[in-house]
Order: sequence, then C-alpha cells, then structure tokens
Amino acid sequence: MALLALENVSVAYDNQYILQNFNLNIEKGQLISLLGPSGCGKTTTLRLIAGFLEAKDGRFLFDGKDYTRVPVNKRNFGFVFQSYALFPHLSVFDNVAFGLRLRKVNEAEVKQRVLRILEVVSLGGFEKRFPKELSGGQRQRVAIARALVISPDLLLFDEPLSNLDANLRINMRVEIRRIQQELGITTVYVSHDQEECFSISDQVAIMNKGIIEQLDDPATIFKYPKTEFIARFIGFTNFIDFAERSETNGEIGLRVGGHEFVAAKNPGTASPMSKKCAMRPDDLLVTTEEADQAGMNRLHGSVKVSTFLGRSYQYVVETELGDFTVNQEMETPYRSGQKVNLLFPKDKMVLVD
Amino acid sequence: MQEKNRGLALFTLLVFLFLLGPLIIISFTSFEPGSVLKFPPEGFSLRWYENIFNVEMFMTTFQTSMIVSLLGNLLALLLGIPAAYALSRFQFRGKGLLNGIFISPVLIPGIVMGFAMLKYVIVVYHLPIYAGLLVGHTVLMLPFIIRVIASSLSNFDFAIEEAALSLGAGRLETFFKVVLPNIRSGIIAAILIAFLESFNNVDISVFMTGPGVSTLPIQMLTYVENNFDPTIAAISVVLMMITAILMFVIERLMGLSYFTKR
Amino acid sequence: MRKKGLYLLLLPGVLFLTLFMVIPIAMTIASTFFHEGSFTLQGYMQFLTDKYFVKILLTTLQVSLVTTIACIVLGFPAAYYISKLGPRKKGILLALAIFPLLTSSVVRSFSWMIILGKKGLLNSSLLSIGLIDKPLEILYTPTAMMIGLIHLFLPLIIITLVGVMENIDPDLIKAAESLGASKFTAFRQVIVPLSVPGLIIGSILVFVGSLTAYTTPALLGGKQRVISTFLYQNAITLNDWYMASVIATIMIVITFVVIFFMNKLATKLNPKG
Repeated sequence: MALLALENVSVAYDNQYILQNFNLNIEKGQLISLLGPSGCGKTTTLRLIAGFLEAKDGRFLFDGKDYTRVPVNKRNFGFVFQSYALFPHLSVFDNVAFGLRLRKVNEAEVKQRVLRILEVVSLGGFEKRFPKELSGGQRQRVAIARALVISPDLLLFDEPLSNLDANLRINMRVEIRRIQQELGITTVYVSHDQEECFSISDQVAIMNKGIIEQLDDPATIFKYPKTEFIARFIGFTNFIDFAERSETNGEIGLRVGGHEFVAAKNPGTASPMSKKCAMRPDDLLVTTEEADQAGMNRLHGSVKVSTFLGRSYQYVVETELGDFTVNQEMETPYRSGQKVNLLFPKDKMVLVD
Repeated sequence: MQEKNRGLALFTLLVFLFLLGPLIIISFTSFEPGSVLKFPPEGFSLRWYENIFNVEMFMTTFQTSMIVSLLGNLLALLLGIPAAYALSRFQFRGKGLLNGIFISPVLIPGIVMGFAMLKYVIVVYHLPIYAGLLVGHTVLMLPFIIRVIASSLSNFDFAIEEAALSLGAGRLETFFKVVLPNIRSGIIAAILIAFLESFNNVDISVFMTGPGVSTLPIQMLTYVENNFDPTIAAISVVLMMITAILMFVIERLMGLSYFTKR
Repeated sequence: MRKKGLYLLLLPGVLFLTLFMVIPIAMTIASTFFHEGSFTLQGYMQFLTDKYFVKILLTTLQVSLVTTIACIVLGFPAAYYISKLGPRKKGILLALAIFPLLTSSVVRSFSWMIILGKKGLLNSSLLSIGLIDKPLEILYTPTAMMIGLIHLFLPLIIITLVGVMENIDPDLIKAAESLGASKFTAFRQVIVPLSVPGLIIGSILVFVGSLTAYTTPALLGGKQRVISTFLYQNAITLNDWYMASVIATIMIVITFVVIFFMNKLATKLNPKG
C-alpha cells in the first residue's frame, strides 16, 4: 500500500479549480518529483500535502490515516522553502533546534541532535552564525537540516535550488539525493527544472493544467514521453501528425498525405491508437545522398536556416510535412536553400498521444 | 561627480533657514532672564524652565497628555497589530474597503473628528471626558500604527511563518515566536510615530477639555492667549528635545523612508 | 476556519472605529439634514447666503491656495537639490525637514508670534535699520496665517517630492543631455513631468492640511476666522451645534472633493500612464 495517497482531491481559489479530482500515490522511501511549467498545479499539490492548503473535496491519506483535516503543525512533515525561510532572528543552532524545542525534547538531546544533523549537511561549526552571515548554499543546508532534525515522516521541497547559481545547484542536488537515500526518507520534490528532477528522482510526475500527464521513472519519461506536451517539455521539437496507422511484423506503418513511414515498435507509453510521432533534433539526420539506407524513413526538403551551435550545426529543414529542426555535427555545413534529404531512424520515432 | 549649482544650493539654504530659523529663535528666547520674550535674549537664565514646574497646570496637563498618549498607544496596538497582520497576510474580499476604513482617520479633518466625537462620544455615549480623550487619541493613532506595521510586514517573508507551522508551532505561537521578533523595530517605530502624533494633537483634544481635564498643547494654547512670558519658549525647547530624541530612534529603527513614501 | 480567524483579527479594530469614528461622523453629517424632526437644507442655505460665512469660506480657500502655491514654489527646487545629493547629505537635510514636521504645531506657530509680533524680531530689526518708522501689523492677519501655514506644510511637500525624485533614474537626465538638451531643458522636460504625481499628492496634503488646520489660524490669525476656527467657535463659544455640524459637513465634502479630483488629475497627468 502506498504511504501517501491523494484521492480525488480538488483545490479551488475564487471558484477556479487549480486541481480537480486529483490522484497521486507515493511509495515509502521514494523521492518523487512534481515537474511542470508554472501554473501547472505542482506547488499547489505540494502545499496541499504540507497542509498549508485545505482540499475542497477528496481525501488525503498518509500511512493509512486520514490527514485531510489535520492542521499543518500536527503533521510532522519537513518543508524546505524556495526562499529558505530561515528565522532571521535566530542563530543556525536555534533555527535547527526550533522544531525539537516545540516537541519539548530535553536540551541535552536537542544539542546532540542539532549538531549531528549539521554534520550530515556539512555545516559543522556554523551553529553560532546567523542566517544573514551565510551564503545561499549554506542557508539552504540549514533549511534542510531544520526540516530533517524533527525526523519528519515526509520531506517536502518547494523549488529549493532555484535561488542558487548553476554550479551550486548541481552540487546541492547531489547532496539532497545523498541525504535522502542515507536517511531513507520519503520525499516530494517540486521543480520546473527537468534536469534537476530527472537527476535526483525515483519517479517523476509531469503535471500540466492540474493533472499528472505521466508518472514514471526518469529514464522512461526521457525516452518515451507519453504525450506531445511532455515530449515538447523535455526537448522533442519535431512532430508529425499521421492520418493512418497499421501494425505489421512488429513494426508500425504510418501514413499521411502520400508519405509512408515506418516506426519500430518500442515499449512506449502512449496509447495503442496514437498516430503522432515525436523526434528529438539530435536524432534526425540531414544528407545530400540519394541512396536509401536501412532502417531510415526519408523526406525531401531544403535548408531554411542554418545556425552554428558550437559543437554542431542546427538546421531548420522545410518539407511538405512542415519544418524540422536537426542538430548535426559536421565539418562543412549545408547552406541555406540547399536541397537535402531528411532521414528519420525508425527506432527514434516515438509515438505520443 | 556632484554637479554644482550654486543658485539652487543657496535657495535650498534659505528654505531651510525659513524652516528652522523660527525654531532656533524660540530656543534662544527661552533663556531670556526678563519676563518679556526678546530676541536676542538680554542674558542667560534658566528661570523660565523652572517656571514650568511652578505652573501647576503644565504639570497636570503634561501628565494627562502622557497617560492619554501612552494608554491610547497601547489600545491602538492591541487593535492595530492584528488588523495590520490580517491586511498584510491575507487576500480576501472587502480588503480595500477595510484598508480605507482603517486609514480614514487621517483623511477626515481633525477638527471635524474632534467635534463629532464631542457630540457623540461625550454627549450621546455619555463617556467621561477623560475616556473620550483616550478614545479619540486611540482613533487618531490607529492609522499610523497600522501603516507603519503593515509596511514592516510587507518586508516579512511569510514563508518563514509557514516554516514555523510546518515544524509544529501553532498559529499564535508562530506569531509570537517568529513574526513578532522580526517586526519588532517596526512596532517600536510605530509606537513612537503614533506617540508624537497623539502628544502634539490639538484638533481633537481641543474639544475634549473639561473641569480638570486638558492636554499640554491645549494648556499651552490657553497660556499663550493670556501671557507672553518665555515659559512657553522653555516648554517648546523641552518638547523639541523629546521630538529630536524620538526621531533619532525612529531613524535608527527603520530609516526615514517612511516619511518620504506616500 | 481561516475565515473565522480573519474576522477575529479585524473585528476589534473595525468595531472600535465604527463606534467611535464612523457613527459619530455619519450622524454628524446626517443631522445637518434634519432640523426639529423634518428634512431641511436650511443650514446650507443659511451658510451660503450669509455674506459673513461665505467670506470665511472664500478666505480659507484663498489662504489654502496661496499656501499651496508658495509651498510648491519653495519646495520643488529645494526637493530637487536634495534629491541629487549624496546619501549622507541627503539624509541630514531630510532629517532637518522632517524634524519640524514632527514638532508640535503649537510650538511652531508660537515661534512666528515671536518673530511677527508688534515688538517682534522682524519689526525690531526693520525699525533699527530704519527701513520703517512704525511697526508693521503682520501678526493676527491672514498674512501671518499664511506664513505660519507655509512653515507648517513646506516640509511635507519637500519630503514627498524627494521621495518621488530620488526614484527618477539619473541616467534619464544624462540621456536628455546627450540628445542635446541643456541642463534646464532636461530638468523641465524630464524631471518636472516625472515629478507630477508626487507634486499632486504633495499639493493635496498641503491644500487639505491648510484648509482644515486649526492651531495656526487660531494663534496667528487674530480675529480673522477660517473655516476650522469658525467651526470651533460655533461648537464651543456659540454652542450652535447645528451650524457647527453644517460646517463640519462642508469641510468633509470639500476635503473629499479635492482629494477625488486631484487624484483624477494625478492619474491623468501621470506620464507613465
């Protein structure tokens, strides 16, 4: 049974639904990310789990108990905020000790636990500092320590790294993953940065307009996005909307406007009827050779725009089925206006809803 | 690089001379040994400062002013802090209207407010004059308390409050342990600004005088109508010193930007 | 649950203000339309037809207008100068402008009695240098009142304008100059229009403040009544509470009309739209 379950939950502001009949299950010990563009409802979901928001309808079960009406301060969940939300008037030690003292833990144990958790987040020796004397990364560590020290039943992160610079962000996400796995604590993590989510999560839920479009492990989502929205979100830029679909010999035949394509049958996540194909710019090829190649679909076109990306060139190729973007490494680039053939590897054509 | 503009600098100097000159002159005349106000004074004497203590009405009205300003301040804080918190923290319908109501005491002419209060608070509600004075000054101070505390709350990250809640603190506990300590300087500044407004008030107090009840500014007005000795100058110097000290503390607590923002 | 908490926080203040401010003011206004039990506009008719009353109203408006204009003329250049100073000097001058603002109006008006009186500083100086041969009668005239009011409200317009002007990007002036504008043209075409919203807010504060000020006219105005001292006279000296209520209502109406139209004007003249 799942540790955490949202059952048909609805949240509304001013009669406008942010979440409607929303469902989510999370297993014990997992780190699950909620990923999506702003306004998709990921933060609302997190705040609902934390108890900062109340559901209009539906139930929230935690460890088999109904938590729907349990107030935030009785939930024993750790929350890490985007702004860190450290208490400015308290030292690092008192910040971390805050939750323990509310739980009437004796002062000797408070001291021992605070110092131990500060070691875990690599902040030993910083107890006497005040938040304003710390760097962004250090503040975030204090915030994590403060949430962890109360031995929370669930750890919640709200875009915790978005105020840090790029290098620190990478270090911190490794750190968060290490701590989470070390302590085996169930974690919900919200971010709009897909790389961040994919790198640290056991499961990623991609949200759009208040619903989860796909919930899978990162590798599956990365390879086989379920919908066009997800495909676009994670870097698929090329789409073909086919009119007909047929299946033969473990391959899928696709037709539109006199063009015939073949796609390999892979363990995709889209529905068995889907006729839309998504392709990454790195997976297509541009060539001037006319000879057929095995395992490739082919389309005539001409180079519309050619731009230099550093390691490779990017082409926008104009065809009868629309424009396609291709990234390709090569010595001498194609010129704008040049007639070319566009090659689509069978196994790189991903069917999406 | 500072662009020099001598004409403008001179003009500004004259403006400030106009603003501060009278206050400097009044300070000098307070040391006049004779019994008629003169500038420049014909000597140096502290007798008029001593005289403040000899005029009993100054002592009693000073006491009344202090009690009314301090007690009214406390009342305004008790009413104003929760309101300022609610208005800064939450979005809700009718917020604009409530904001308007809480700020309106500064929009209504003071003399009108004083008269309306005399008419209703004293006569219709039958409150004693002393209580009416207290109520009037509380109403007067409320917008200042709310405005200053709300501006200090606008710099407060309410995620900090949520952090305390998520760590297990109750709402009230959170307010006292986390919110209050972080807006402390705003609250002290609010107290001082409201105190000055109340202590110097004439418009409302002038209607709330009765047998044995009056405030210092009203007593000063009455005194000036009948006497022209330097006692008032001496009191003025004392009041200006109090003002300067309080203003210095306000500046330390929250800078002077409160006064320039409108 | 949250709603209930919200009401609990707001209710005490709202109740207090309703009881001690909203009801008294509303009832004062309402009472002017009823005399001896029936609806009437008699009070207003009486006010507007009595030459003495009208003259008081006009004098008040005139004094307030002159005060406002004088405050702008004196305050605008000073505020511009202050806004361009470094933070330290600016802080000191702002503090020196705010200090009189926080000082008792009784003290400030009284200081002008010392200066403008028959044997005051001004007359004795002018007499001693032989510019006049008998003392000028300034104290207890509308002129004294205006000087006192300008002194009272000038700081207000200065600090309001500094607040607006210090937020004007100094590069705008440089940009204007680089496009060929002289210093004065740049000031006139960049600083002035961008200061208009602050200027209007400051003017409202000064105009409404002068219109309703009590202490300064009472101390410096002598027998010359303005609308606020007239209200006090009716209420306390003459004990005519009906007339006092009419005057109070007129003051509220003028105040709100001025605020309303000036705010409209501010929105209209705001160069940023």
